[in-house]
This record gives sequence, structure tokens and C-alpha cells, in this order.
Amino acid sequence: MTSPFATLLFTLVRHRGVKGCMVVDERDGVIVDANLQLGVDGAAMAALAASVYRKARRAATAAGFGEIAFFELDAEHGRVCAAGRGGLVVVLVAENRVNLGLVRVEMLRALEAFA
Amino acid sequence: MRFSVAAEWVELPLKQFVDEARVQLAVLLYPSGQVLGQFGFGRSVDVMTACALSAAITASSAELGRMVDGTPFTDLHYAGRDKQLFLGQVPIADGALVFLTVFDDESSLGLVQLFFREFCAVTASVVPSSNAETPALSDDFERELNHNLAVLFGRQ
Repeated sequence: MTSPFATLLFTLVRHRGVKGCMVVDERDGVIVDANLQLGVDGAAMAALAASVYRKARRAATAAGFGEIAFFELDAEHGRVCAAGRGGLVVVLVAENRVNLGLVRVEMLRALEAFA
Repeated sequence: MRFSVAAEWVELPLKQFVDEARVQLAVLLYPSGQVLGQFGFGRSVDVMTACALSAAITASSAELGRMVDGTPFTDLHYAGRDKQLFLGQVPIADGALVFLTVFDDESSLGLVQLFFREFCAVTASVVPSSNAETPALSDDFERELNHNLAVLFGRQ
């Protein structure tokens, strides 16, 4: 049976440089649905990315900035992006060569499905 | 620090787990209910109660698993309104230990499961080989049970 997020995930992973994409439960940090390349530790990524997202959201709220829409982590060999809404977070793992602007638009558009 | 251990080798994996998973309570025990180390408890009677209940739940869920699925159920997660509980089995050379942890919104099930996997790996690498030979219920079980609780709470 196909999950309601399968199309969304497929749209994101087809971009060049994307190694995987997941829909993660923000509170539990567990995978709801995922489309990952071999070698990506989905469970670890989901737990850690959801934790960072949750803390970033709390920090933004504490600072009076409102809801966080999107965040990006830059590392030496890749990027992790996350965007959330309604208790779910879209987490994307990509190489540095990914077209970040395009992926960002797609992720924010994907959030509309969570409303 | 609110750590106390009855066996030295427990300290490293337990501290690592608590530091990384940001849990509120953690206790490692034999399947018989005898405590090996704990974090977060203030009274020995609470540790004793947690160990007894954890051992009972582990035994019951294993038997239930055998009945309905042919194999024992291993890990258990319960999500309360504010706090959550995770009860897992830590494989060692010849058997398994039982691990109970309680956490709130500072952590998550995903983080607990992630660092529990690391906890299992570190524990398996530091547990003495003779540990696996410890009988589930030795002749002096009650004395050993009380001894470990006394060591944990400085009454030795």
C-alpha cells in the first residue's frame, strides 16, 4: 500500500544530489515514510534531525520570531534540510551540489499537504 | 550527578546513554530484577520497585510474544501525556540484561532508540564474560539484591 507521502518524497528525491528524504514525526523522531539511498541511516537521521528541528522551533518561539519554516545544516560533505508543520517534519539529506533553492521551494510546497 | 552503579563496567555505557539521550531515569538490571546501575532515582525503594516491575513486564511480554507471535516480544514503549517509558533488552554473551528508561519532551523515542543501540554495543564490549554465567536466581539472590541496592545508595 502506498503512503500518502510517497508522491511528495518521490518529487524531492528525484532532484540531483538528493540522497534521501523522509517524513518524520516531530515529537517521536521516528520515520513516518522515507525514500532513501543505500547507506543513509534513516533512523538516526530522523531522530537527530527531528530533535534539532524541535529545538530550533522552540528557540525561534522563545525569541519571539514565530514559527520556524525551514532550516538547513551545512556540513563538509553535504546538507541536511528540514521543514515542518502540524507535528510532521520533512527531512532531506543531500550532497553539496544540490540545487538548494529549488529543493527549498519544493519542501515548503510539500508542507501544504500537512495542513 | 545522580548516577550509582553496583558494577564498575556499567558506568561508561550508562553515562554515555544518559548524556546523549537526555533521559530522566535509567536503570540496568538482570532479568531477575537485581539492579546493576541507575541514574535519576533518589530512593532505593524506588529502584527496587522499578526493577521488580521491569523484570515482571519483560517476562510477561516475552511470554505473551511467544503465545501470539511465536517469538518473545523484546522492546516496549509507552507514551504517557508528559513522560514516556522505554523498556529494552540488552544482549550480552549468553543472555540479556534489561534496561528501563523514562524520558520527557527533552528527548524522543527516536533518540532513545538510537542511543539505546549504541548503549547495547558498548555494554556488550565491556560486560565481563563471567557476567553471563550469573544465574537468574542464585541461592543468595535476596542477599545479592539488597547488597546491590546498598552499594547504589551508599549504605555499604
